[in-house]
Amino acid sequence: MKRITIVISIAALLALTAMLPLGIVQADGHCEFADDSIKIGGLVPLSAPGAVAGGIAMSWAINRAADDINADCGIEIDGANYAIEVVIGDSEGSPERGQAVVERFILEDEVDAVTGVYHSAVGLATMGMLDENSVPTVFSEPWNDNVSANGIMEYDGRPPRNADGVDHVFRVSPASSMVGGVVVDWLNDLGVDNVVIIAENTDYGQPAAADEKARFEAAGATVTQINVELGTEDFVPILSRIQAAADTPDVVRVLVTGETSFNLTQQMAELGIAPTEDTICVTNQVAFQSEQYWLNVPDGNYCAFNRVGIIPSLFSDLAVELNASYFEEFEDIVPSYAMATYDAVWIIAKGMEQAGSKSDGAAIVAAIEATDLDLSQGRYYFEYGNHNPDLPEGTPAFMWHQWPDPVVTMMQYFEQGQSSLDAAVIFPQVYQTHGTGYIVPGTSP
Amino acid sequence: MALFKRFESAIDNGIGRRKLGYMLIALVIVFFLWFPNDASQSNYAKTVFISGFFYAIMSSSWALLAGIAGQFSFGHMAFMGIGAYAAGLIARDGVSFALLGISVTPESISAFGSIVVGTVFAGLVGLIIGWLLLRLRAAYLALFTIAFSELFRIMMLTEYDYTGGSNGLSLRPLLEIADVNAARQVEYYLMFALLIVCLLALYWVANSPIGLFLRAMREDEDAASALGVNVVRYKILVFVFTSMIVGFAGAVFYSDVGSERIIPEQLEILQMSLIIAYAVIGGMESLIGAAAGAFISRYLLEAMRQVVITLPFGLTTADGSDAFVWDTGFWRFALFGVVMVFTLRYMRNGLLYPIITWFSGRDIAMKETVSIRESDDEFAARKERDDE
Amino acid sequence: MNDSFLQWLLLAGPLWAAIGLYFLPRISPKRKRGAAISESDLQVAGVIGGFALGPLGIGIFYFEPRLIRRLTLAAGITIAVFISSQVLVRVSDPNLPSALWLILAGPLWAGIASYFIPRRYRAVEAIDTNALTAAALGGFAIGPLIIGLMWQRTPRIGREWMIALGSLGAWQIYTLFAVHNVSNPCVAAPYHVTYLTQQTANGVVIGSIYSLMAVGLTLIYSVQGVVSFAHGQLYMVGGYFSFYFLQYAGDFLSNLTGADISVNPIWGIPVAAVIVFVMGAVFERIFLKPMHEGLIERVSEYAILITFGFGFFLEYTTLAIAGPFPQRTGRFIEIRRFTLDRIHFSDDFFFGPIHIIGDRAFAMFVGIALIFALLYFLQRSWTGRALRATSQDRQAAAVTGINPTNMNTLSFAMGSMLAAMSGAALIPIFNWVPWVGAEMVGRSYVIVVLGGLGSVPGALVGGVIVGIVEALGAGCHPDPSRGAAYKEAFPLVIFALVLLLKPTGLFGREQT
Repeated sequence: MKRITIVISIAALLALTAMLPLGIVQADGHCEFADDSIKIGGLVPLSAPGAVAGGIAMSWAINRAADDINADCGIEIDGANYAIEVVIGDSEGSPERGQAVVERFILEDEVDAVTGVYHSAVGLATMGMLDENSVPTVFSEPWNDNVSANGIMEYDGRPPRNADGVDHVFRVSPASSMVGGVVVDWLNDLGVDNVVIIAENTDYGQPAAADEKARFEAAGATVTQINVELGTEDFVPILSRIQAAADTPDVVRVLVTGETSFNLTQQMAELGIAPTEDTICVTNQVAFQSEQYWLNVPDGNYCAFNRVGIIPSLFSDLAVELNASYFEEFEDIVPSYAMATYDAVWIIAKGMEQAGSKSDGAAIVAAIEATDLDLSQGRYYFEYGNHNPDLPEGTPAFMWHQWPDPVVTMMQYFEQGQSSLDAAVIFPQVYQTHGTGYIVPGTSP
Repeated sequence: MALFKRFESAIDNGIGRRKLGYMLIALVIVFFLWFPNDASQSNYAKTVFISGFFYAIMSSSWALLAGIAGQFSFGHMAFMGIGAYAAGLIARDGVSFALLGISVTPESISAFGSIVVGTVFAGLVGLIIGWLLLRLRAAYLALFTIAFSELFRIMMLTEYDYTGGSNGLSLRPLLEIADVNAARQVEYYLMFALLIVCLLALYWVANSPIGLFLRAMREDEDAASALGVNVVRYKILVFVFTSMIVGFAGAVFYSDVGSERIIPEQLEILQMSLIIAYAVIGGMESLIGAAAGAFISRYLLEAMRQVVITLPFGLTTADGSDAFVWDTGFWRFALFGVVMVFTLRYMRNGLLYPIITWFSGRDIAMKETVSIRESDDEFAARKERDDE
Repeated sequence: MNDSFLQWLLLAGPLWAAIGLYFLPRISPKRKRGAAISESDLQVAGVIGGFALGPLGIGIFYFEPRLIRRLTLAAGITIAVFISSQVLVRVSDPNLPSALWLILAGPLWAGIASYFIPRRYRAVEAIDTNALTAAALGGFAIGPLIIGLMWQRTPRIGREWMIALGSLGAWQIYTLFAVHNVSNPCVAAPYHVTYLTQQTANGVVIGSIYSLMAVGLTLIYSVQGVVSFAHGQLYMVGGYFSFYFLQYAGDFLSNLTGADISVNPIWGIPVAAVIVFVMGAVFERIFLKPMHEGLIERVSEYAILITFGFGFFLEYTTLAIAGPFPQRTGRFIEIRRFTLDRIHFSDDFFFGPIHIIGDRAFAMFVGIALIFALLYFLQRSWTGRALRATSQDRQAAAVTGINPTNMNTLSFAMGSMLAAMSGAALIPIFNWVPWVGAEMVGRSYVIVVLGGLGSVPGALVGGVIVGIVEALGAGCHPDPSRGAAYKEAFPLVIFALVLLLKPTGLFGREQT
């Protein structure tokens, strides 16, 4: 009996201590914080089948932004300083889980704003819910064109304006059409007419491939599209097929992410398909993380890739600092989505400061629409919104609440093992660092 | 005091315990019925419960298939997917058989109708697969079903134009309730009712003569068939039955109850392996054990995302915080694997088995059998012979 | 093909076949003299000879019935070619959906044949192991004819039948491609010879590497009767052990000498092998041993679950420790690829170039060398012989002084070790994430089932076949945009078919 009593009392004690309120915010001594804090929910993939590596980088960025803001004594609203508190939710890359997490954010954690989202499918599935509940949201990585205010209409069948007359979803990542445009413009400038697109069969690869295919075809090029499943390791059979084609392709465009893309690019180089003097190798933003890239694609020299976000030579002090601490943590160059996520937290926080409220959705939306901030990726503003509601003819609907200026550039490695900070920027012309639009393999600029 | 005595004696005989067991089940049901009315509970908790119910259906039907009938299928998730995809496709595209003069347009079919179609279709595929699997046993059967399920997933992922690829396929919403809270409430009860119905159906099969035949088949297929059990019929039957159950559950769950669209990632072997793990931990041979195992495991996996241990007495950690925060991320799954392996090795019938046997009073019966047998000279003599 | 030919085929063939069937056994002089030719042989000769060559065929068999056995096969193939050319004429008709025959009729007849033929075999109490396979292949290749043919030839179906029918089916598919998908690189002259060779070479190279892993699986199965569901994860951890060893060894040597040294990944293979060997042995001792001591009911299901749980644990532990970022080691050899340059025979006819990636070729040799080393070990060393003896008859082996418990442990440890070695051999070729095992292990299952569970040479052949099927499937799929996405599906189709038609595989022991 005695032992049982002891066990019970210990258990009760533990239970009691677990119920003690958590002290979340670190008082550094020089800041006086209000009791309440601003809660920002970060919806990121942290388990398979989601893109775990991306989720880890994004949650690092959110926490880092919160730390920076708190070190700056938080956000001042009505004379009180509010600290930022981060709540991370795991979307697992699945829309169903994403919805559940957002529901928890709204009802249980009572977050004041949401950022993050890596997978477009998760963005599509959650934005209606976020909007309905008047949660100001700044997505930082989904690329699907429809992941913006107008997408709610197509996805949910519901007009995007909420009861309070605004919609709450912003995006600081580019829409895939904005990226595809740059790649195709660059290649058309170089004059290509035989294009092979290799795309993963996901909500990233398929729409992007369709978009680029249409653009290439509009410019008169012939396009062969090849779809691959994520997780495929051996691409040699399909690459042999490309090699066997009567015309050597001018370009092989890789729209595959993660380790699958590394396998593909490396095998392409090993087989001598691209990059060669005849064939341009164009991969995507995954190549920007140069440590990973060179580890996994040792033969990938002279591959060009599209880069979203400010180019390394124009990195602001903030971006340099961010990159340094990212490098310390993960031993790699900071990916653009981590920078965008970092900036998104700042945009939300500053919006709340401007609005003078952390809970008035409409006011915060208005303040975010009026954003004009210089952050790690450059100057943030939103061209179209309730402050400027008329999209001119020909402007795509996704420009609503969309940061119009994600810098999309084409970059190219020209030395084995080169850091992406030193890689050449080749397009658009205004950003060119080495005075050339394409470095032919085997040469140096 | 007299009451306590009666209680004690009731416990000592199996019937009293069984009554207690029924009371406990009733209590659990009452708890689940009451739960959404607790204002302090968030919708998120309800969502966790809803998906818990769904996986409980999956696990317990798998327990019937694998634990009771001995058909070790890895294709359970695929059948669920077939139900959901069939329901979604018929609601979106309709179907027409010109030869038979049957034509179903998307307009003419209701959400419920599409779910029925999905269920029937899952049953049909179950029929074909069950028939194909007749010759295969144990590892071969497992391997074949893995191949089947992977093929199905790759097809759903690749035929982008028809199935929506990785964007998923939306099913026709079963409920059209605007208010989120009310909708979640209704979804909760719907899924709970579905779980109860499925469990009753599964129990009905398991406790009917069919269940006996299935168990006989599991122990020794040849012997069972020699004794006149129509192995072919029951093997196919159990496949069709469980496929229809999971097809139905899938079609309902993805018709806006748990989620509004089915995505191919749900059909990955990983998801299937989780269902198997739930069933193993709860007890493969007990339907309610498997269901409870699934529910509890899901709840714990959810709760263990982050372990926070608050330090008492104003102690602080090295970096000045008053709580240890451990992001369990992948470790919780690793732990889950350890639990699964040790459960299999040391508690073959699942972690809940002792509780279930206690309440069913089966252990008393077992003890009695053993003691009777041991007092039986003939038995003892035979045992001696065996030991030699 | 004109209409009169069709009429001949439809009318005259069956007519003469009937005549041959009825008269040949009755009029054959050899038969009357009691020569060792059975009546059914003569019936078959009558049907086939009559169908294919009309009165001429009946005449030939009348005078020379000894030719029957050889000519039956030849005649069967001739008929099949006629029939399939008819089919091709039909499917070339633009009004008919092109793939209809292939999709519907082939499998349909295969299904019908595989339903009836084994029944017939059982009815006459003949051994029906090959009947199902031959019936399905034949139904696919020559449609309804196979039913009549095999009905006549019950119970004698040799391996040559299956090879002939199988190649006929493959030829039909190939011809269909040639007619309907003219631009497909597999059929578009003049490059198609090179292309098919290239794809076959791709398949052989990667397939030999796949084999190594599958050999481990098959070794475990042959001794223990257990399919290890942790095999993919053991393969994965093998790669990681190699990776971390190379990293630390490289750092250590660099610090020691001051120069930047990277260790050749070949050294990772023995390291991974030793570690995983121990892991496998420990796991077997704790979790699988009780199985053989009769402590556990329903052994095969327990084995599936326990190894499965072990794999689950390994995968997530690795994910928690190593993280989700892809890793890769350096190269085996500094040659990017081997190229066989184009050889011109004439302007229209040339061969080449053929490319093989250098590291893969190296890994292939490593894989094959290890498999032969294993075979040598199994054949020559005492332990190897003991292993084989245990796999053949546990009780008999125990009587001769072999400890079956130790053999169990050894087989599981060695099987796991082989998985780890193939992981270590592949990490320079593919980049490594904790879930790489899943795709790979599916392939090993296909290989071992195709080769026959428990057969080491079977695993080698199966690996090469799977490699070729993948390469040709992805390379020849009519829709290039889907071919690659379905790459992993092609072996699965083969796998499902083998499981259904011939679960013992190519080299497997007959199961009871």
